[in-house]
Amino acid sequence: MKAFNYSPEHLTSNRRLFWIAAVLGVIMMAPVAWIIGLSLKDNAELLRGTEAVFNMPYTLVNYANILESSSVFGWFMNSMIVAVGQTFGVLLLSSLAGYAFARLEFPFRKTLFIIVLFGLAVPEQAVIIARHQMFNWFDLHNTHIGLILPNLSSAFGVFLMTQFFRAIPKEIDEAAMLDNTSTFRIFWKVLLPLTLPAQATLGIFTFLQAWNDYWWPLISATKSDMYTLTIGIASSQTNFAQSEGLGFLGAQAVFASLPVVIVYIFFQRHIVTAVSGGAVK
Amino acid sequence: MSASISIKNITKRYDSVTVLDDINLHIEDGEFVVFLGPSGCGKSTLLRMIAGLESITEGSIDIGEKRIDTLPPGQRGVAMVFQSYALYPHMTTRQNMAFGLENVKVAQDEIDRRVNDAAKILEIDHLLDRKPGRLSGGQRQRVAIGRAIVKEPKAFLFDEPLSNLDAALRGRTRLELAQLHQRLGSTMIFVTHDQVEAMTLADRIVIMHNQKIEQIGTPMEIYQYPASRFVAEFVGSPPMSMLPINSIENTPDGVTVEVSGAGKVVTAIVLPPEFNATNAVIGIRAEDTAVVAAEEDGLDLTIKVIERLGDRTLLYGTLIDGTDLIAEDSGRSKVKAGDMVRVSISPQAAHIFDGDGLAYHSQMEV
Repeated sequence: MKAFNYSPEHLTSNRRLFWIAAVLGVIMMAPVAWIIGLSLKDNAELLRGTEAVFNMPYTLVNYANILESSSVFGWFMNSMIVAVGQTFGVLLLSSLAGYAFARLEFPFRKTLFIIVLFGLAVPEQAVIIARHQMFNWFDLHNTHIGLILPNLSSAFGVFLMTQFFRAIPKEIDEAAMLDNTSTFRIFWKVLLPLTLPAQATLGIFTFLQAWNDYWWPLISATKSDMYTLTIGIASSQTNFAQSEGLGFLGAQAVFASLPVVIVYIFFQRHIVTAVSGGAVK
Repeated sequence: MSASISIKNITKRYDSVTVLDDINLHIEDGEFVVFLGPSGCGKSTLLRMIAGLESITEGSIDIGEKRIDTLPPGQRGVAMVFQSYALYPHMTTRQNMAFGLENVKVAQDEIDRRVNDAAKILEIDHLLDRKPGRLSGGQRQRVAIGRAIVKEPKAFLFDEPLSNLDAALRGRTRLELAQLHQRLGSTMIFVTHDQVEAMTLADRIVIMHNQKIEQIGTPMEIYQYPASRFVAEFVGSPPMSMLPINSIENTPDGVTVEVSGAGKVVTAIVLPPEFNATNAVIGIRAEDTAVVAAEEDGLDLTIKVIERLGDRTLLYGTLIDGTDLIAEDSGRSKVKAGDMVRVSISPQAAHIFDGDGLAYHSQMEV
């Protein structure tokens, strides 16, 4: 470990970095604080001017309204079903594919893996029309399945899991083979538990991406009862902001962010590891 | 429970590359056999073929009376200890040891009995609830051995299991393995490139070189009567010195050879008429030499490097013609680098190797 440098020049440099980081932090947090402030104010008061955010009194009435009457709760459930479904689906399929690419011998294995990697380079925009048509044919629009399915084939997930399975020493599989373990049991009982760090990384990213996804739900979910939170709140913003009020809108946004914030708080360590993966060691 | 192992005409090829070529070997029930050889000689491949982790191109393997090379690894009745231990990191010591038994549906109380017995033998009973990440290298090695013991296999296979241990622990574990073999009386095959491990553990050593078995014998047979120049140079530390032979004179009691830089050496070796003298050498081990007074018969050796081992001193030097020779002196040797000393060699202990590397030994007891 590097010893702390107590020289005056170094301390000055550290102080400067601190202030730069502090200013950047305030800039980043300001909109969040603003939206929380709005959510805690009465709508009527905000109609007179948003500077009311800085003055007492504050109220939880907007949050109470969400739970009582708004369709936000339905959108929240839709988002939850889609994000959780997509997360588990991606984890299962990516793990199976990763294991197969890393450990099993089958025809065209390398070619197929290259095709999967090629998937990383294809932007969603390039396939969206064809996908829309396909889902239309199969009548999958405005269904949870329709919202979950497209993102289950995660090229990144397959790549990540393949690399992770490859990093596990083959002697572990061989020891299990000598322990009279079937191929599926080797995958399920021996190797899969060893990929938990990668599963956590992939799971968090998939959940966050699914929760924040806007474009595909915008195309696929055209009925308001199938809206996810992102689509629902956006529609409120354009159509109902004046009637339902800024405070209510702010409360919706805060409510929508809660799962993401919870995921960040509980899995912060894994997210940092995932983001800095490969940077150290 | 243990059984003999018969390897018959085993060949292994990867495409056009031959890794093992027509290997034949019979290992007796309860025997401790060590596969010894340099990296790439095929010893680990042969072990892995017995375990079922590598397919065989030709030949067959029997354990006891049963042919096993067509069976999957888990059904061959062997247990293997890997160089990297290969413990399951997410399982405790107890779970690691029990996993194989659970797979074949052994009753839980029987699993508990075997795990506890093995843990007691290996003195790891206090580690049963720890995961491998919280064990030292030596402890992990014991767990790996324990995992093998609980299966009560017909044969134990060890793939360089001591390589990852430090020198002191390696020595201690080696001794414990020898004791374990005595206690269990099981058939054991041990792969290593470390000749000390081979010499100390083996009932018989199988020396492998260039995809073939070079020699099979007890440790002392291998050491005293190496079958080839390769074996002579590979086994023994320091390696046997090889002095080029200029001419050979046959006598009824043995041959007298004229050696570059050393004059005539009378040996008790009888050579056959078909002996190939081209590039022939005479081999001398350091312990078969002695530093003598300058007026006695012997070879003049200019010392370049000295290794003091405490009980003896190794002298690395060159003869007059530049040939290298390693000699041995007592632990209290006063010889210094740069000195010229007179060295005598014991002719009875000399070996002659023909141009093809084939060995000829003295008929006298060494």
